[in-house]
Amino acid sequence: MKVSKWSERLFGTPLFEPLVAFSYIFPLLYLIVFLIVPVLSMLLIAFTYDGNISLHWFKSILMDSYYIQLPPQGEFAQKLTTSTGESLYLLRGLDFGVVLNSLVVAILVTLLTAILGTVFAFVMARYNFKGKNFFRIALFIPLLVTPFVNAYVIKQMFSEYGLINYIFHEVLHILPFRIKIDGLAGVVLAQAMAYYPIVYLNAYASFINIDPTLEEQAENLGSRGFHLFRTVTFPLALPGIAAGATLVFIFSLEDLAAPVVFHGDPLAKKLMSYQIFSKFIYGLGERSPEIAALSIIMLALAVIAFLGIRKYVGLRQYAMLSKGGRWKPRISEPKPWQTLLIYLVLLPALLITIFPQLGVVMLAFSERWTTTVLPQGFTIDYIKEMILNPDVRRFIVNSLVYSGAAVILIVLLSITSSYATSRFKGILSPVLESIVILPIAVPGIVVAMGYFYFFSAITPENSPLNPTSLYGFNPALVLILAYSIRRLPFAARSVYAGLQQVHVSLEEASMNLGASRWKTIIGILLPLISLNAFGGAMLSFVYSMSETSVGITLGSINMAQAPITAFMKEVLMSAAGSINIAAALGVLLIVVQITAIVVVNVITKQRYSFIGLT
Amino acid sequence: MVEVKLEGIVKTFGETVALKGIDLHIKHGELFTLLGPSGCGKSTTLRIIAGLDFPDEGHLYFDDEEVTYKSSSERGAVLVFQNYALWPHMTVYDNIAYGLKIRKLPKQEIEKRVKWALELVKLQGYEDRYPTQLSGGQQQRVAIARALVVEPKLLLLDEPLSNLDAKLRLEMRSEIRRIQRELGITVLYVTHDQEEAMAISDRIAVMNIGQIEQVGTPKEIYEEPKTEFVASFMGKTNVIPAEVVEREGDKVTVEFENFRLDGLTYKDKNDKVVIVIRPERISLHPIENAVAITGKVDLIEYYGFFIEVVGLFGERRIIARTINDKDVAHLRPQGEVTFYIDRNDVLVLPKQSL
Repeated sequence: MKVSKWSERLFGTPLFEPLVAFSYIFPLLYLIVFLIVPVLSMLLIAFTYDGNISLHWFKSILMDSYYIQLPPQGEFAQKLTTSTGESLYLLRGLDFGVVLNSLVVAILVTLLTAILGTVFAFVMARYNFKGKNFFRIALFIPLLVTPFVNAYVIKQMFSEYGLINYIFHEVLHILPFRIKIDGLAGVVLAQAMAYYPIVYLNAYASFINIDPTLEEQAENLGSRGFHLFRTVTFPLALPGIAAGATLVFIFSLEDLAAPVVFHGDPLAKKLMSYQIFSKFIYGLGERSPEIAALSIIMLALAVIAFLGIRKYVGLRQYAMLSKGGRWKPRISEPKPWQTLLIYLVLLPALLITIFPQLGVVMLAFSERWTTTVLPQGFTIDYIKEMILNPDVRRFIVNSLVYSGAAVILIVLLSITSSYATSRFKGILSPVLESIVILPIAVPGIVVAMGYFYFFSAITPENSPLNPTSLYGFNPALVLILAYSIRRLPFAARSVYAGLQQVHVSLEEASMNLGASRWKTIIGILLPLISLNAFGGAMLSFVYSMSETSVGITLGSINMAQAPITAFMKEVLMSAAGSINIAAALGVLLIVVQITAIVVVNVITKQRYSFIGLT
Repeated sequence: MVEVKLEGIVKTFGETVALKGIDLHIKHGELFTLLGPSGCGKSTTLRIIAGLDFPDEGHLYFDDEEVTYKSSSERGAVLVFQNYALWPHMTVYDNIAYGLKIRKLPKQEIEKRVKWALELVKLQGYEDRYPTQLSGGQQQRVAIARALVVEPKLLLLDEPLSNLDAKLRLEMRSEIRRIQRELGITVLYVTHDQEEAMAISDRIAVMNIGQIEQVGTPKEIYEEPKTEFVASFMGKTNVIPAEVVEREGDKVTVEFENFRLDGLTYKDKNDKVVIVIRPERISLHPIENAVAITGKVDLIEYYGFFIEVVGLFGERRIIARTINDKDVAHLRPQGEVTFYIDRNDVLVLPKQSL
């Protein structure tokens, strides 16, 4: 056998090896067929008008004041009077038109979460104070995903007679009037409260990873206090903060839960995600080019943010420059004014942001929650109903099956792609590396639309795989594919990290002693990365269970085969069931997530690895 | 046991040429060392022989069989990795038995051979330990046992002692030599430590920037270096740039800094030369037929039973090493000193553009 030049170029193996080629081609092909092609098939529709390639749909969107409204309309805050004669300020936000609204909301949420997340991270990384452990645990609570219901609780909290007015207006008298937050302002609030721990986790990791000697050197040269933070600490942590913030930007852009919950206010509907979603729901079977174009605009914004941050962080890996040596972490006692800040500002902020999850639990165990501050009347009827009523249980089973199947695919994809990219230096390696984390940058609703156009085009007209089928579409395959693509980055990152910790000489030694590549992978590599694969699989599973965008669109076409989130959306939008049942499902998801966190922590002895972009 | 031949091996990594055409002939049962500074290509050569990398050009033979593109698992050239590459999830026993299980040997045979290997490296009783429960030296013995147990045609050792402390290094060095003699296998050894190479090897190939500078026995390499690089790499030595000013057949007179050394043997045409003198061959006492050069004492370094005198000759520093006795007690920095050099101890080599 002679060296194969093309095998070396493509796969980085001078001798062609089918197993290595498979590790490249399987994930690559999978992502091309089930991510790139569906999204591109939408491009085709968006750029076609009257049978010609045209920018018509984009022009019509960008010229329409419904989509772009400059200057903005409406009043940010309106002064109203309640039935009891008190003054009430209603905050809804301004209307910039659908496209700009999405952008403005995403930017505001990004800024708010960046500030809040960074402050929390810095305090947690650098100060010792009473109750720090409570902070540490509590900061994970907003990360527990309970689609729709937590936004519902936030809406209740900030309503006329909600918790916030009760505490700050009625009890503490800090607010001289009542406030109510609705519309776009409500969306910003709900998203910021849910997403700031993402920035927190990324920023915290960055602060912890700064070599203390860098700061000590700066102090030694005379820098102190805020100057030290501004010139050394913050710039070194910035790549991590920015990565977390970018993730929030993309999450905000694609979020559907908050707009759906606040949709009683027409302003909350004027967001790209909601527009795509509602036109899909109400115009089913119609392959609207306008929606395709809107999806493309949304995708473009997310991808630009994603590529921008990758480039930026890639350029600034200097935080890792330092040499070894044991670090003495820089932790100090806060000064009095800092203590005051921690207990008077951060603690209330933390309590407010963890309330939604607590509210979900209360809601699941209570009879009603109308105009009272907290839900009323304890009951376990809804938990019972969730478990015993086959109509509800069905959704749980569906979600478990789809998520389980997706995780099997995800594990296979993560291992093959990580093996290829970490062990071989073919020209396909960087391509594969980028494409595997690309799903982070593709909004769920865009995946949903892409699948809708793709599967309705390639499957026979009335087959169960065709979303426009008249005889009952079965979303199982589409959902499994969508979950496996959307949640792949979680597991792939974990497996890749595991592979990097296993020195390649362990595999070389095995092959050098006579083992084939297959035997080496099975006997040496997989046992050594099994914990990473397990951790990644759990994470992917948990977030597949709570997947929203595809679940409430394609997944809700045929309710018999719908996942949990499709049912939760039905409850919230049509008042078909009681919100308490949705909350019960939220509790179920919380239990699944906490179990996963605990199991992963105990078994892998690793910190629960949440999402980052780098 | 196998004879290894490399013919014109060329290897590039992207733009960098790692090996510029390596020719080598390693004989049956020989302990052969590739010696050179880091980045000289010695490990790449080793990996090519192990089948973990493949050359761009050239041929590799084990006896008469060409194995250039044979996969690593079929070659029988077993490598002991620098970091030992012990599998952390397997016990010592399982690590050693791995290669035998791959060869599908019967269970009793495997047990017998693992026992033999453990005895060979003196690790009886450690079967059930995990690699992390072993010291560095023990880990290395396991790595060697794991390689030897499959009865390799050729044993490849990649800087096997570099992760051990100084004392253990000496111990393992003689251990490796003992095992090699006992089994009579061909061993290819890679190191950057010239002392280690000289102590252990039958023959040495000195490598530099992807090329072999010289092949020979330790004595040949040390005493008759063929190139400036080999001379300067093998231990502390004086390498003094100089110029040929007179020639008479093989005899030349060279000049540096207004000092002249005549009657030296030199055959090359290049007039730009270096003269190589080992510090221990320079005498501070007059000896017969020696060239004498007088300069200033720049520095005296005490090492205990010997001292090193750094003499300044014009701008050039030359080191002499001598027994620390009464005869050198009078030397003072800045004082005058005369170095006596036997012409037979002076090597004249063409200047290399390094």
